[in-house]
Amino acid sequence: MSNNHTHTEGEYIPETYIPHAESHGTGSLWRTFWILLGITIVDFIIYFAFGASMARNIVFIAFGIIKAILIVGIFMHLNYEAKFLRWMIVLPAVIFLSYLVCFLLIEGNYVSLEKYF
Amino acid sequence: MSNSSTVSSTSIWTGGRSPFNVSYGKLMMWIFLLSDAFTFSSLLVGYGAIRFSYAGSTTPWPDPATVFNHFPFAHGLHLPLLFVSLMTLILIISSVTMVLAVEAGHRNSKSEVSKYMFLTILGGAAFLGCQAWEWTQFIHEGGRLDSNLFGFTEAAHEHAKHLKLFDSVHWTDADKISGPVPFASLFFIVTGFHGFHVFSGVVINIIIWINVMRGTYERRGHYEMVEKVGLYWHFVDLVWVFVFTFYYLI
Repeated sequence: MSNNHTHTEGEYIPETYIPHAESHGTGSLWRTFWILLGITIVDFIIYFAFGASMARNIVFIAFGIIKAILIVGIFMHLNYEAKFLRWMIVLPAVIFLSYLVCFLLIEGNYVSLEKYF
Repeated sequence: MSNSSTVSSTSIWTGGRSPFNVSYGKLMMWIFLLSDAFTFSSLLVGYGAIRFSYAGSTTPWPDPATVFNHFPFAHGLHLPLLFVSLMTLILIISSVTMVLAVEAGHRNSKSEVSKYMFLTILGGAAFLGCQAWEWTQFIHEGGRLDSNLFGFTEAAHEHAKHLKLFDSVHWTDADKISGPVPFASLFFIVTGFHGFHVFSGVVINIIIWINVMRGTYERRGHYEMVEKVGLYWHFVDLVWVFVFTFYYLI
């Protein structure tokens, strides 16, 4: 395979290319930790303060999504990655998950597995 | 690196550089985690569908609070959610120590990376210990892959009486055998699949930790392997957020 990368400096070999990583400090990491901890404590309080209801479930799922965004964005560093990488990871996940969840919400009504178990 | 500064953004797909500006290994780790996210979401959506199918049934889905209500050294007390919250806390803390190890790796500080890697391994082992304890409790009380003794709990019976399904029958232990089997089997499958991820994460963490202490990455000049195993470890934490939400909170 010929190497005609005339517009780059140095030699680019995909399998060994390591971009330079820089520390962003620990401030945002600890802040994320306290937010995650806080949300979990609020989860705990809501669980005992309110009875089971659809509203409570929606709050729990919303908190779960917020925690997921924080973990993926800050801890897994996706917020700081290149734009194309961000979309390549986020878009398929969002599309596939909404597809699955919509099927569950629309078709789940008709399923009764009771007779099989 | 210098590549990105010399190439204009319009030529990002013309080759000669990584359009994602990450190493090959890290890109593949991201794609693996994406596929793993699909697996776990399918499991959780399947769980939701099966649980939903028992709504209004005479053998209702057990309330997790009446099943997972134990805490070590607190026999006979009804303490729902407390133990899983502790497990969640352990996993969040081990996530923080992992990300601190990655941050120390960016500064090429070998001693700090090995310290935080060790703390992460401790956290993972603590989580696994908690899960083993919870499984032991569950199995001890009758949870099996093919049977479930928690289906018809006293609370569920009260609910059924309220619906005028059983107005004169009293709840007995014999009623306990009539619960939905998927409750127990899905518990083992979902938490077991997650627990196996934690276990493999701990094993990979130990391998990387040994490499850190032997100076492998110091000689290599970068700690990218710590970043890759960190991605995997945070993903395990991410999955637990949803297992915690759907299995214990809802």
